Amino acid sequence: MTDGRAGDLPERGDDGSLLQKPVDRRVALGMLLGGAVVGAQALSACSPLNGETPEEREVRVLAWQEYIKGNYRFMTEEERAETIARLEELATLKRREDVTIQSTGAQPGVVFGYAFNISKCQGFRSCVEACINENNLDRRAETQYIRIFEMTEGEVNFDLGDATFQHEVPAEGHFYLGTQCFQCANPPCTRVCPVGATWQEPDGIVVIDYDWCIGCRYCMAACPYWARRFNWSAPEVPAEEVNSNQHYLGNRARKKGVVEKCTFCIHRSRQGRLPACVEACPTGARVFGNLLDPDSEIRWVLEHKHVFRLKEDLKTEPRFWYFTD
Amino acid sequence: MKRTWVGVAAASLVIPGLTAGCRQGQPERSEQFPAGTVAVAIDSATAARNAAREPGALATVVADTAVGWSGQRPFEVASRTGGPEAGHSRLFGTITLPIVLRTRSPALTQYPCTSCHAGSRVTMAARRMPDVHHDIQPVHPDTSGAVCATCHAPEDASLLVLLEGKRAPMDQSYRLCAQCHFVQANAWAGGGHGKRLDGWQGRRVVMACTDCHDPHHPAAQSRIPFRAPVIERIRSETP
Repeated sequence: MTDGRAGDLPERGDDGSLLQKPVDRRVALGMLLGGAVVGAQALSACSPLNGETPEEREVRVLAWQEYIKGNYRFMTEEERAETIARLEELATLKRREDVTIQSTGAQPGVVFGYAFNISKCQGFRSCVEACINENNLDRRAETQYIRIFEMTEGEVNFDLGDATFQHEVPAEGHFYLGTQCFQCANPPCTRVCPVGATWQEPDGIVVIDYDWCIGCRYCMAACPYWARRFNWSAPEVPAEEVNSNQHYLGNRARKKGVVEKCTFCIHRSRQGRLPACVEACPTGARVFGNLLDPDSEIRWVLEHKHVFRLKEDLKTEPRFWYFTD
Repeated sequence: MKRTWVGVAAASLVIPGLTAGCRQGQPERSEQFPAGTVAVAIDSATAARNAAREPGALATVVADTAVGWSGQRPFEVASRTGGPEAGHSRLFGTITLPIVLRTRSPALTQYPCTSCHAGSRVTMAARRMPDVHHDIQPVHPDTSGAVCATCHAPEDASLLVLLEGKRAPMDQSYRLCAQCHFVQANAWAGGGHGKRLDGWQGRRVVMACTDCHDPHHPAAQSRIPFRAPVIERIRSETP
């Protein structure tokens, strides 16, 4: 049976030169689609009655080119520049947004670390507000990267914690503990990704290529800290509220069916700025800096304060420490 | 003392129109400082980028080297803002979260302390504080047993008085507070307390105690938090 089926298939290289060339599936698809796009352009140029404006045609062409691009991690600098130009153009054409998308890489000699002072946090959620605005989070689904837990004093017990509190804070007998993506040094989420759409950058930030993600949500199941968020629908951000300072691996527009997460504001931190949550915190509970710089604040906290991390027994090595005054 | 500008030089280099607008109706900046002040050109590329990207951010922050913390990791203290719209703000998308650097002694031009508290005109012992300074809630003095003159110099109310008798300008509140709150002050000097301006890289400019804490009512005020998340993780039934 198997022999008969094998006999039906032509021998490799028997029927033409195309099969002999080392062309992979993606390149071949690109060639085919490129031909289709050129043909469609020629067709629509000949027949202006098909109802497509030049702008719509450009959107279609750009969208096709975006569809067949590669994984950001393995792109050359030119390919990155091309896709960023396309994405910026698409944002202008489709959503009337004037955005700037960075591809800023990791600085050498920098590994980011974060510390959270559970004595200081008052539960105001100013960080959450700043994060939503900075990272263009879905306003309709009200996505939030940061959770602030209202914890019962005396123990770190998340069964007694409540992240949905909505009353005047700080409440008597409680302390507040914030969680977000901890950018683990040993991240379980990146290893389970079947397509390599999420990985850890040299400065420790775990990032996602939203255009490579297939939305299987394995990473969400793997994360022991509940740090990742899934877009059940296309994120909606009012055009006038969009933060135009964007990064390819960070706060650029996401689409339906992809996973997103905190990136320590990769578009800010890689330029020497503080993440939005750190700047917005009115109590100074958040400390951010370079773990490799002995003069940094984060190093002072690690050297002088009693710190702990969540679920240390899992060996995920979060780069996010909690400390008390 | 070395006195340096943060952001001003950068902002005027990158967007001259912006700082020119801020200076309208104001004397030249150099006139606001005592003789011998050295204005040093900014060296922080981060501040330059920030000023270019976010008009208003860090445009008018002045920094001093901290008094009394020599020998530790270097840092500077943002002492006040110079423009008419005193304050420091960052843009997050379309909303602005202000971080107010309260103007201190040199900016007390409308009602300088000495217009009342000079010589024997109004002494610190006069019990008219609620009439004039009605906006001051003396919570901290009441709980610690302090009176006005414990912290304010009787002969010149624009100065702070330290326990050893020395005087300090209002901008150096950390010298006064650190006399009792030395644990917090050490954490502040190291980086575990307070807020840093201008990012994690480059020159370390931090805010002083009174930029966050009302010295007469230092505890954080309670408030209604930002809205709660909609989706919540499953919690176990038995707490």
